[in-house]
Amino acid sequence: MEGNIKLLLPVVMPVAAGIVVLLYPGFRQVRKSLLTMVLGTLALETVLVGLALAGEESLRLWQLTDAAALILGVDGVSRLFAVLTVGVWLLVGVYSTAYMEHEQEEYRFFGFYLIVLGVLLGLDFSGNLITMYVFYELMTLTSLPLVLHERTKEAVAAGLKYLFYSVAGAFLALFGIFLLLQICGNQTFTPGGVLTGMLGAGVASTEGAVTDSLVWGKEGLFLTAVFCILVGFGAKAGMFPLHGWLPTAHPVAPAPASAVLSGVITKSGVLAVLRVVYFVVGPEVLRGTWVQQVWILLTLLTVFMGSMLAYKEPLLKKRLAYSTVSQVSYVLFGLSMLQPQAFVGALSHVVFHSLIKNALFLCAGAVIVMTGKTQVKDMRGLGRRMPVLLGCYTVVSLALVGIPPASGFISKWYLACGALASGTGVWAWLGPVVLLMSALLTAGYLLPLTIQGFFPGADWDKEMLKLHAGQVSQELHWEAAAEDRKKAEPSVWMLAPILVLTAGALLFGCFPGALIRMLETIGAGVL
Amino acid sequence: MSLVQNFPFFSIIIAMFSGIFSSVLDGKKARNLSLLVIVLTTGMSLAVLHFCVRTGQSYTYMMGHFPAPWGNEIRAGVLEGLTAVLFGLVMFFSVTGGMDHTAADVETSKQNLFYIMIDLMLSSLLALIYTNDLFTAYVFVEINTIAGCGLIMIRQIGRSLSSAIRYMIMSQLGSGLFLIGLSLLYDVTGHLLMSPAKDAVAGIEAAGLYEVPMLVIMAVVSVGLAIKSGLYPFHYWIPDTYGYATPTASAVLSGLVSKGYIFLLIKIFYRVLGRENVIASEIVNVLFVFGLAGMLMGSVHAILERDTRRMIAYSSVAQIGYIYMGIGLGTQAGMVAAIFHMFTHSATKALLFISAVGLYEVSKDQKDFRSLQGSGYRNPLAGIGFTVGALSMVGFPMLSGFISKLLFATSALQSPHKMLPTVIALAISTILNAVYFLRLVITLYTIPEESSENKREEPANEEEIPKRRPVLSPGTWKLHLAIVSFILLNLTLGLYSQPVVAWIGSGLAMFD
Amino acid sequence: MDTPLFVNMEETVSIVLFGIGFTMLMLHRNLIKKILGMNIMDTAVYLFLAVKGYIRGRMVPIVVDGIQEVSAYINPVPSGLVLTGIVVSVSTTALMLALTIRLYERYGSLDLDEILMRAKEEERV
Repeated sequence: MEGNIKLLLPVVMPVAAGIVVLLYPGFRQVRKSLLTMVLGTLALETVLVGLALAGEESLRLWQLTDAAALILGVDGVSRLFAVLTVGVWLLVGVYSTAYMEHEQEEYRFFGFYLIVLGVLLGLDFSGNLITMYVFYELMTLTSLPLVLHERTKEAVAAGLKYLFYSVAGAFLALFGIFLLLQICGNQTFTPGGVLTGMLGAGVASTEGAVTDSLVWGKEGLFLTAVFCILVGFGAKAGMFPLHGWLPTAHPVAPAPASAVLSGVITKSGVLAVLRVVYFVVGPEVLRGTWVQQVWILLTLLTVFMGSMLAYKEPLLKKRLAYSTVSQVSYVLFGLSMLQPQAFVGALSHVVFHSLIKNALFLCAGAVIVMTGKTQVKDMRGLGRRMPVLLGCYTVVSLALVGIPPASGFISKWYLACGALASGTGVWAWLGPVVLLMSALLTAGYLLPLTIQGFFPGADWDKEMLKLHAGQVSQELHWEAAAEDRKKAEPSVWMLAPILVLTAGALLFGCFPGALIRMLETIGAGVL
Repeated sequence: MSLVQNFPFFSIIIAMFSGIFSSVLDGKKARNLSLLVIVLTTGMSLAVLHFCVRTGQSYTYMMGHFPAPWGNEIRAGVLEGLTAVLFGLVMFFSVTGGMDHTAADVETSKQNLFYIMIDLMLSSLLALIYTNDLFTAYVFVEINTIAGCGLIMIRQIGRSLSSAIRYMIMSQLGSGLFLIGLSLLYDVTGHLLMSPAKDAVAGIEAAGLYEVPMLVIMAVVSVGLAIKSGLYPFHYWIPDTYGYATPTASAVLSGLVSKGYIFLLIKIFYRVLGRENVIASEIVNVLFVFGLAGMLMGSVHAILERDTRRMIAYSSVAQIGYIYMGIGLGTQAGMVAAIFHMFTHSATKALLFISAVGLYEVSKDQKDFRSLQGSGYRNPLAGIGFTVGALSMVGFPMLSGFISKLLFATSALQSPHKMLPTVIALAISTILNAVYFLRLVITLYTIPEESSENKREEPANEEEIPKRRPVLSPGTWKLHLAIVSFILLNLTLGLYSQPVVAWIGSGLAMFD
Repeated sequence: MDTPLFVNMEETVSIVLFGIGFTMLMLHRNLIKKILGMNIMDTAVYLFLAVKGYIRGRMVPIVVDGIQEVSAYINPVPSGLVLTGIVVSVSTTALMLALTIRLYERYGSLDLDEILMRAKEEERV
């Protein structure tokens, strides 16, 4: 082990804390100590990550075999993802303290919640492909108990589906990695790809073809390997054809779990794809090949299909899951353009979508906890009871649709500009068209809840709600409703994280300068 | 000559004599003797390994007064030492882990017989590893078969008797072929010791003589040993045999016995027939194809199977396929991968069988894997053990299975003609593995529906285990010791693979 | 009359016998006949080995009246191998027969297919 140990701390600390939470019976009996432990760990983690991100360190962890070492390192991309992960984890952690009160076996949820955080940071800090793969697999495995939490038959089926999709994807990617390992040798992440440096070494460079001398003669195999990796890691990002797990896993998982699944864990699929394309294979090598073409096609298909399915979906959480399928493929579409502006758009969409989708899932969770309703059509008049919550929902929905001052607009603007300037033929204009259509569909599936919630219409009987609220409050031992129906907002522990996320989604839209500059620097490095 | 050089011979003979001596002991004493002998021989093998790594070369040990090419010889190198150490470890923990079940499954008056079989098995495995003489190898192959048959049938239920006779028949087919192969080789070369036989073979090949007989010899020896180790088309005895024997026997048979034959085959390829000749003869291609078929068909059978232990047994068919595929690649790297996978599979399969026992004993002991629902909570350590084993078989990073896969894939890429089928078969078979192993793992952690209301009373951590242990198995610390050790062995192979791979490489180099 | 097969008649015969034994062991359903096949197979190998050691016109390597020169005796090694092999084959035969008796006592049949079928049924009950 050589290098700076402080990189390892943010990875190991939460995992250790999580294992303690799982094993030490004291946390099972005393809720207060459990929550103190969890929140304390999260706070400490934030500090540790801050420290780790301060410099451009690297750490050689372990020599797995001659050819493969485990390396941790920090660069712009890992900074972005690590900050995002920790921030979201902290907020959702606060929310969970209130939410998980209604669930069984909290300690198990929180234990794995912390472990997954450590693993995710390991993923963010990974310095080469093998390390990333190791953490990727660990992430699949440790996040499984979050999906399975309720252990009902549906939850188990959903967990299995999640596991099979992820594992099948990961192994598809693994064989691509093996091939790449053989062809490239070195798989340390290098901005612009490890192959690009070797380009133009005397071999006639026909445009867009793979010209590296090492790859020469094996283009077919090489490109197939890259394609396998894209599809394999795309499974986690919900890219067609391996998107099926998302809509199944989300409705059964507890709301905080679906929030982080959708907000952060799908993004690790994006991170994996990004690392492979921009840091190992190199965008120059892929440009114009069939892999890029098929990749763009798949992302656009996913964007459109996800939106359509979301539009038709009656269950709120499932609708949000389909929305995730579609939105994460926006990011992948941006990456597939291999163009600086689209790259910036993609990465900013990672941030924005993460904030927004977390806020949306937390809202959905709050609604489920407070009213027990899961269908969108049952949520009429919600705005009367929970104006703040529904207000937040509306604001982030608008941001996701891409209404100008809010954040979604910025990323979509960059995506569209990038696509138009990318010179990818028909995709250059078809892409923005699909994005636009999908944005309209987004409005179509998110805003009905707002409209029906705030304006239930004349036929809506207030007494119905009163009756309903009374019943529900009895079931859930929720006394506040009986006292005052008007102030039926969820507790501040739930509301505060949602408010913070909403504010983030708004503020990043109004003042995107710093973020965009940072992303442009990263983009300039790799393209 | 230093004392260490005597150790291979000592370990074989100690194991052999302890078996004979056990016949007058009662069950418990025989068991303790057997454990002691395993520890002793493993220690000796460790010393041999250390000696060979330190001196950097192998040595031959003359048995009796006649030098080669007339006398009998033992030969030890890095690879022999390493294999013997690993086999010893797996043997020890299999015996410890299944001890209580052996006591329950075997009649009290016959306990000592079981441990005689274990001793003989150990002795014959060590002899297969160390011997430098082909006919000695044949004799110990037969002893191994008899001991294996004894281990299977000692449970004395109908299925174990019928599977024992099937095992015996298949083994006899295999060893008959092996024997006729040896006789032909003796006819052609005039030698039974490996080193002079190799020189003679090289001379024959150089002169271009006896092409057909040499081909027949290679084919007959390979097929004979392939039958005995359960390569795909000859696999049908495996599921019955592993599925109905007592747990120790299942673990030992699947983890070690088939590997002993594979080791012998590799040794014969390198030390007698000559690797180049074997590759030139296309026999490796046949093994390669059968290996691929085994990888896929074994997994398909396992998916269709409902009985957990038969499922694990079918997975053995697939894993044996991997090993033969590695041999069939015909490269040095492929051979290293095959041998590494041999170790991986020994450690992992024994872990799976032993953990499965731990899970069965807290369930209703039915065949169907669905009866294991929730058993991961009832016996957490066994659940963890099984999960680790399953993940290792699937090829999860940091466990030994991942390193095998990495080595296989890397070596496949070095042999251009076989690269594509290998990589595709690896990918498909990995996913098939994932299907049935992960299905099992999830089953372990599913709450059975009828008892879902009392699920919260189940302990999910290790502190509370002793209270909830069913009366059926009072002394399961042995099982737990075995599971923990196997997990550690797996992790060690996964994380410290470099020295192991380096030793395999240098051991193979010493074979030439 | 001097084709290789005829010249090496003993080897030819032993290989044919080996084939017969192997096929019997593999294909015959009756356990006793399987065991017979196994013995034929083993015996064929011993015949083969013994033929390898025998050199026409030479003596048994037993000292009767003074040691003669090497070329007077046949090769003794194959004979030793045959003896070892016979021991091995006797023990495996004994084991197989013992197993067969146990199976016959239990299932009242020597037909392997039938035994396997009954064993499966027995388990199901």
